[in-house]
Amino acid sequence: MKTGQKQLYAQKKFYLWLAVAAVVHFFVLFASVFFQIWGTDHRLKPKIVSVTLVSLPGSMGGEQTVSSPAIVEEPQPITPTAPKIIEEKSPATKPVTKPPIKQIQLNQALARIQQRVEKQTPSPKPSSVTTLNSALARLQQKISTSGKPAGAGSVTVADNRVGAGKGYGSGGTSEPYKAAVASIIQQNWEFSRTLLKNSEGMAVYVRINILANGTITQIIFDRKAISEYLNTSVKKAIEKSSPLPILPKEVGGRDVWIGFVFSPEGLAK
Amino acid sequence: MFESQLGIFGLISDAGPVVLFVLSVLLSFSIVSWAIIAFKFGYIRKSLKESRLFLDYFFEVYNVEKVFTATEKYKQGSLPKVFRAGYIEYRAIDNHADSRQVTARIARAVKREANAENKRLSTFVSFLATVGNTAPFIGLFGTVWGIMTSFHNIGLTQSASLAAVAPGISEALIATAAGLAAAIPAVMGYNYFVQQISIIERDIEEFSPEFVAALLNEA
Repeated sequence: MKTGQKQLYAQKKFYLWLAVAAVVHFFVLFASVFFQIWGTDHRLKPKIVSVTLVSLPGSMGGEQTVSSPAIVEEPQPITPTAPKIIEEKSPATKPVTKPPIKQIQLNQALARIQQRVEKQTPSPKPSSVTTLNSALARLQQKISTSGKPAGAGSVTVADNRVGAGKGYGSGGTSEPYKAAVASIIQQNWEFSRTLLKNSEGMAVYVRINILANGTITQIIFDRKAISEYLNTSVKKAIEKSSPLPILPKEVGGRDVWIGFVFSPEGLAK
Repeated sequence: MFESQLGIFGLISDAGPVVLFVLSVLLSFSIVSWAIIAFKFGYIRKSLKESRLFLDYFFEVYNVEKVFTATEKYKQGSLPKVFRAGYIEYRAIDNHADSRQVTARIARAVKREANAENKRLSTFVSFLATVGNTAPFIGLFGTVWGIMTSFHNIGLTQSASLAAVAPGISEALIATAAGLAAAIPAVMGYNYFVQQISIIERDIEEFSPEFVAALLNEA
């Protein structure tokens, strides 16, 4: 009888330790997850501040049914800030060295736009601001009359997504900014098409939220590609491209949503 | 915040059913192992301590009646238990004239209690050895299975890049890590308890004849 009581006592004690061990295990598990999330947040916060998300320029080549050129969306007719046209025509393939300063990047993007406009205009005149403005104005007029995008839609910046979140940043005034951002991302996009056996139909639709100070607060994959490699490369490119330039004042608002389409074909171009 | 699923939670949530099953088995192994370690650690430590105190008192007094009374204070000690068993048997003997029979009965009772105490001390310890030996292999099984699945998925995605291969492998490797996490404390606890139990067993072997002799002298 006494021995039985002792055994019962020992069993109870063991079960107590079992419960304690289970509780400690789950506590440790949850603590590790919690600290990991907490640590990730703390690590990412400064990174977000410094990292600017880049949108892919629309060198999607061929199947850009989704991407609508910015020109069509532009309600503002003859503003000199018609970089939408430029951005549409700017293929992602043009390698541009990444300047350290945001202003320089913006200037470079504008310079590229200017060069392209000069190529398209029949009269080859020395590049100047007035020439560029007039060329852009002609293009705008042409677009407004025809109602169609002047450049065959090779833009991968999904303008229909701009402002999809909160309505900020819609309109064409931010096109130079988008072009700059896209060029930055493109430069940082390390992607080898040869690693994909089949690149057909592979496209990544990404939406990013940029604060006024250029901070990227969110990266949302609207549609991922089958290849995880492509998805990861896009994400890395966006993270690597940081910090983004500060949002131009004409965009207004606290933040802006910009959508991009990444595809192997676009890169290959 | 980026929508990235990194870390332990992401690895576990992305793991397949087999890997999850392996992880749950290893988790249960770890829980039981730690419970055994905590339970046996207290038990053996108390047994050693009370045995030492009892021996000191035994050699100091060398009076069976007093020593038996003192054993009430050392109920967890192995040596006091053995002595109590011998004393109870000694008291149960009516005829102390036949010293040979008395010696045999006391020795038998002492031996029986020593065996019982050895069993009590060794209870659950073998489970630690089992966990220590099998947990790494169970974890390895989960890893192999996870890598198999990962390579299959790589084939489906048609991408041979490291970025496509690495996530699956890292998810699978968590099973091996869990197996090692369960096995290492189990092996350490097993080695510790085996050593401590061998000390107690040696004490019982050495002092059992002393107890019998003390009881016979009392007779």
